[in-house]
Amino acid sequence: MAIAALHEPLPDDPPALLADEDPASKKQALEELLRARRLQRDAPPLRGGDRRLSPIGTGLAAVDALLGGGFPRGQLSEVHGPASSGRTGLLVSLLARVTRGGALAALVDPLDCLDPASAAAAGADLSRLLWLRGPRCAAEEPTAQTLVAAAAAVATLAGSGLFDLVALDVAGTERARRALPGATWVRLQRLVEGTPTALLLVGEAHVACGPGGALLALEPLGPRWSGLPGPARLLASLATRAHAGRHAVRSAELALGALA
Amino acid sequence: MFGGLHSPRPLPHEGALLALARDFTPRVEVVAPTAVLLDLHGLGRLWPTPEELGRALVAAAAARAIKAQVALAFSRAVALVLARARPGLTIVPAGGEREALAPLPLALLGLAPEREELLRRWGLRTIGELARLSAKGLAERFGHEGPRLVRLARGEDDGVLVRAPLPERFELTLELDWPVDGLEPLAFLLARVLEPLCAALVGRGRKAAALAIELGLVDGTTHARRLAPASPSGEARTWRTLVLLDLEAHPPRDAIARLTARAEPTAARPAQFSLLDPALPSPERLAETMARLVAWTADGRGGAPQLVDTHRPGAFVVGSFAPGALPVAAPGPEPASRFALRAFRPPRLARVTLQAGQPAFVSAPGVRGSVAACAGPWRASGDWWDVAWSRDEWDVALASGGVYRLFRDRLREAWFVEGELD
Repeated sequence: MAIAALHEPLPDDPPALLADEDPASKKQALEELLRARRLQRDAPPLRGGDRRLSPIGTGLAAVDALLGGGFPRGQLSEVHGPASSGRTGLLVSLLARVTRGGALAALVDPLDCLDPASAAAAGADLSRLLWLRGPRCAAEEPTAQTLVAAAAAVATLAGSGLFDLVALDVAGTERARRALPGATWVRLQRLVEGTPTALLLVGEAHVACGPGGALLALEPLGPRWSGLPGPARLLASLATRAHAGRHAVRSAELALGALA
Repeated sequence: MFGGLHSPRPLPHEGALLALARDFTPRVEVVAPTAVLLDLHGLGRLWPTPEELGRALVAAAAARAIKAQVALAFSRAVALVLARARPGLTIVPAGGEREALAPLPLALLGLAPEREELLRRWGLRTIGELARLSAKGLAERFGHEGPRLVRLARGEDDGVLVRAPLPERFELTLELDWPVDGLEPLAFLLARVLEPLCAALVGRGRKAAALAIELGLVDGTTHARRLAPASPSGEARTWRTLVLLDLEAHPPRDAIARLTARAEPTAARPAQFSLLDPALPSPERLAETMARLVAWTADGRGGAPQLVDTHRPGAFVVGSFAPGALPVAAPGPEPASRFALRAFRPPRLARVTLQAGQPAFVSAPGVRGSVAACAGPWRASGDWWDVAWSRDEWDVALASGGVYRLFRDRLREAWFVEGELD
């Protein structure tokens, strides 16, 4: 089924259906409504529904196809890649996908890197995004204490069960990361197991990934420019190649468009 | 027996008369700001005779600097009318109600002005004259109000005493036999205080919008904290967690000898769940989670980002995280996939070498290399009436990898790397 078809409005006007006097047709109308509602992949499940079953899609068709639908819930997943490989664009797209559907997302950002304007341009509902920023510091890297506190905050967020997505951005924290206890990632993986939360690490190189988590490595292919060199030239997109899985056996090329 | 209290002079403060009445009985009706009725049944063991009770009321009023007129009678209407009519203490024996009211002017009955004027035109001046009229005849002229007026004039009660509700004060204090030191033993004591407090709140259909905790310390000082989460709660477990988390961050400086919890009540509004809309997060769990993250959110660095209505680059504020209901909107088209700015805060000061007016080499902390390709400049400026800014922006791709956004601050004549395009 095409993605576009999943976002079509509900088939009929609910009040008109429910006003029908015939109980059988009323029941059928309600069932149709529920069925249509369940087919909206963006929306979190109905009250009492099991959220653990559906992965969280990124909104990028090529990446979702690579990951088998998206990032799995109840697992620690990872996206890593060097500078300008599209990690942040992918993260922002994921945040937008979750918050647009009415669910909550949290981003623990020790280096205070998120640009809210980029997130809004990607379609994120910022009121449903909890953004925890690291302390302001002149250094390029956060201190080890900041990263320890960030891991503790991720544990709190994942344990609350309130958020569909909890992301920790550890790109640019190589030295500080060495000070973290070795069991940190195992502990986070155990904590998130069985919950409806997808835990995502964003980094420059491979850090950790749960046994059932999705691992996505991004390889930059360089910027694409529009127009000839000169005043009219624009940065059109960033091309990147995404490799999925531990042995990077599946890959796809992406082009992330320019900011609005 | 009933008592009427009336103050012909202004009261020392609003509610002074009610507070005086409540010293004698909880069954008090506030008839007017300067008049209250007391149900004095069952006080015979404390004040054996009506005279003693009346004198006690007068003395209590004098002690509170209230010049009160007191009347005791076996009818509420009589007690109230006589309290308004006669100074000092008036006691009406059983059966003497009608005689006590008879000489008093009609105005004391508190009738509607047009009704009182009509009775005056009939030649009636006193309550006794009204009492002598036939109830049937008055009913033919005034309808059902006629017999009621006659009963009132004869000192017979209609209806019941409407008790003023007691003020809602949700406060509990626990005096400890031995001082406790540390949060672990305090957790058990908090449960002993908060569970009955929350049960009382819930029993009255209330929740606590805020909770004030006062810890009396061994050194004689008081450690006071006030918690006001985003959403009211009536759950003892939630409040206990919030209090413990707060005390972890702000521990008392000595052992605790006394514990007082005072809730600020608010009406409990039941949530209306929807069959088709996504469920909102539980307010209690959200408040608990946010309390655990107070180290990140206390200084305003954590929360929900909000864009500001300005063209100034990178302008945003961080508000409190309180997600509401999903706005009703038709599903729009899927936003196109975009790269995002990975911001450097603050922007990194850079040295930029230009060639033919374009950046050729960039050197900044963490960003260094020759420029392979670039686009720009785009000039932007604004806020000249406030804190002005003006800049030329460039998107540059370094030969060593990475695409960055640079800008030259035209007011400070300096180059900065704003962030990485990722």
